[in-house]
Amino acid sequence: MNIINMAWKGIKTDFRDIRTLFFMLAFPIILMLVLGTALSNAFTTTLPIDDIDVLYKDTTDGAALQQFIQQADQSGIEFKKVTIHTDGKKEVKQGKYTGYVEVTEEGVELYVNSGDSIGGNILQGMLSSYVDKYNISSEIMKVAPDKLEQAFSGGKQTNFIKETSVNPTKQPGSMDYYAIVITSMIVLYGAMSSSSLIVGERVRKTADRLIASPVRKSEIFIGKVLGSLVSNSLCVLLVVLFSKLFFKANWGDHMGLVFLVLLAEVIFAVSLGIGVSFLAKTSAAPKVIIMLFVQLSSFFGGAYFKLENPEGIFKFITDLSPLTWINSALTKIIYANDFSAAIPALTINLVGAILFLLISIVSLQRREGL
Amino acid sequence: MNVLEIKNLTKKFGDFIAVDNMSLTVAEGEIFGFLGANGAGKSTTINMIAGLLRSNDGTISILGKNNAKQSRFAKMNIGMVPQDIAIYEDMTAYENVKFFAGLYGLRGAELNERVVEALEFVGLQDKHKSYPKSFSGGMKRRLNIACAIAHRPKLIIMDEPTVGIDPQSRNYILTSVRKLNEMGCTIIYTSHYMEEVEEICSKIAIIDHGKIIAEGTKEQLKSIITNTKDVWIEVKTTEKVNLAAIQDINGVEAVSVDENFIKINSDTGVNNLNKILEHFMNSHIEIRSLQEKAPNLETVFLTLTGRNLRDQ
Ligand SMILES: Nc1ncnc2c1ncn2[C@@H]1O[C@H](COP(=O)(O)OP(=O)(O)OP(=O)(O)O)[C@@H](O)[C@H]1O
Ligand SMILES: [Mg+2]
Repeated sequence: MNIINMAWKGIKTDFRDIRTLFFMLAFPIILMLVLGTALSNAFTTTLPIDDIDVLYKDTTDGAALQQFIQQADQSGIEFKKVTIHTDGKKEVKQGKYTGYVEVTEEGVELYVNSGDSIGGNILQGMLSSYVDKYNISSEIMKVAPDKLEQAFSGGKQTNFIKETSVNPTKQPGSMDYYAIVITSMIVLYGAMSSSSLIVGERVRKTADRLIASPVRKSEIFIGKVLGSLVSNSLCVLLVVLFSKLFFKANWGDHMGLVFLVLLAEVIFAVSLGIGVSFLAKTSAAPKVIIMLFVQLSSFFGGAYFKLENPEGIFKFITDLSPLTWINSALTKIIYANDFSAAIPALTINLVGAILFLLISIVSLQRREGL
Repeated sequence: MNVLEIKNLTKKFGDFIAVDNMSLTVAEGEIFGFLGANGAGKSTTINMIAGLLRSNDGTISILGKNNAKQSRFAKMNIGMVPQDIAIYEDMTAYENVKFFAGLYGLRGAELNERVVEALEFVGLQDKHKSYPKSFSGGMKRRLNIACAIAHRPKLIIMDEPTVGIDPQSRNYILTSVRKLNEMGCTIIYTSHYMEEVEEICSKIAIIDHGKIIAEGTKEQLKSIITNTKDVWIEVKTTEKVNLAAIQDINGVEAVSVDENFIKINSDTGVNNLNKILEHFMNSHIEIRSLQEKAPNLETVFLTLTGRNLRDQ
């Protein structure tokens, strides 16, 4: 009950604070509008799927892959059989082809460039659903060969293409791109407000009142964190819905998973803010540290402009930004139905959150008062 | 029954001893004054009673129960008015009181009743929908009190509740303190203002360097120093006054400067007024007036601690 009291008070005052509202709601929306329209030329809004050329090698005698190739062809993906003289993997590495598919009796292997190319993502998504189908059919083949035909032509035949092929109008235009990166950036900025969750009570001296009351420190802490999580999540929800409805930004067909990734980031941001506020010596330092961290993360996470296939040390730096992982996960979920991309993003955010929460809890226990 | 019992309480900040082996009892129904100069250890003592600071040694009992062992019981029965105003600027007066009272387990209609009662008590009922940023210093102080009394504590601790406010608000607060006391609350009151303490407190402890150096009713405290008297000499300018020289005059116990007054406390048994005046003449200091004072708390304080209560 005390926890809910604490949380509710936080939520109420968050949504009353014009500055917070501007920063968490108006600011990202304006930024999306400005960057999304001003920089629209930097984005090819037509489908780059035409550019997807794929090499393949099929050592099986099944017709399944051929069927897949036919369907993919209709979406504009061109498959070429690899010749004896070419090394498929090398071709992909040199950027001549988007991907190289090898189908053997053991299964399917796909090689794409490790860079964040949309084409590679699309290919990966399509193929993974094909593989699902393929596994089913090979099962059936073993058990009852005469049912194979049915498995593939029985109404659902084109499903794996339909699910994953990208509708030309759904390519990430500049607004789609900025809707994602600005949203994830603003979530990270949530660390600013959470850095004053406890410090604010100290500065206002209300910490003394809280400690003098029969409420446990742990209840105060949990209540505060919970309130901040709810406030920040609500803001993100509003920003995403606003950009979807009014800017027609593409958030894909799996909003649940998109929100799950964003929620993990909210948890990370809130914990980061509190953690830093406990580590810093003065009450002003956390804001400076967080501002710097968010700015750098935003820059290297591609919040201001797209960083195309970073390499070497530059890639290492971009990988340090949590936003890189989140933006990549969101792009893959939205444009390639690649749900597995959510896993590194979720892991990084939640592990980070646990780390910062532990720091906070330990220092809170050591302190007299809040 | 004793509302508060402190035994051998000690608090150190590093090597510095802020509260030094202090023992004290406060009986039910008392308005107990803590008098002490800046840094005497009043707030530190109070913060330990309220559970904001841990003691290094000693015990504190509230209503007969040990604070350390039954901290929830203690906290439920204490209302703390902190020295620094502790309210949320982004919540209305009503919401502030409601939030804090809610921490004591009050809910629903009862909570609402108590909040209204507390706001009426400090005279802020008309302002219950206003935000504290529009409040004067005095109104904030009053809200600071309201936040501490809505849960009807048995013991109310007020740490300098009248600092820096207008006379009207101060009177309001002093009246409220008396009313709370009449309603059955025991009160611990600290202040820099001697007159306030003298006016409302039924018992007083003088604290210096973390120790209680005298304790009792006003009358008891004054009787400590009936063997001294006060002479106040008003001068045009205090620049040329040599306090050390005056201190050296036979019979002088203490000397201090308060604006244009030189306040001299000296033994009743020694006739030294001549000597004192001679010093002023010789130093060519123009005297404006001279008065002899009956002992008051200020004299007591000065005599016992050797310094003024407000020599910041
Ligand atoms: N957290 C702390 N760390 C170190 N020293 C402290 C701390 N809190 C108080 N002190 C020191 O302890 C002494 C007593 O302080 P305290 O606040 O109790 O005095 P006080 O009697 O309330 O004075 P005031 O009238 O100025 O409020 C002071 O010398 C102060 O500097
Ligand atoms: Mg104090």
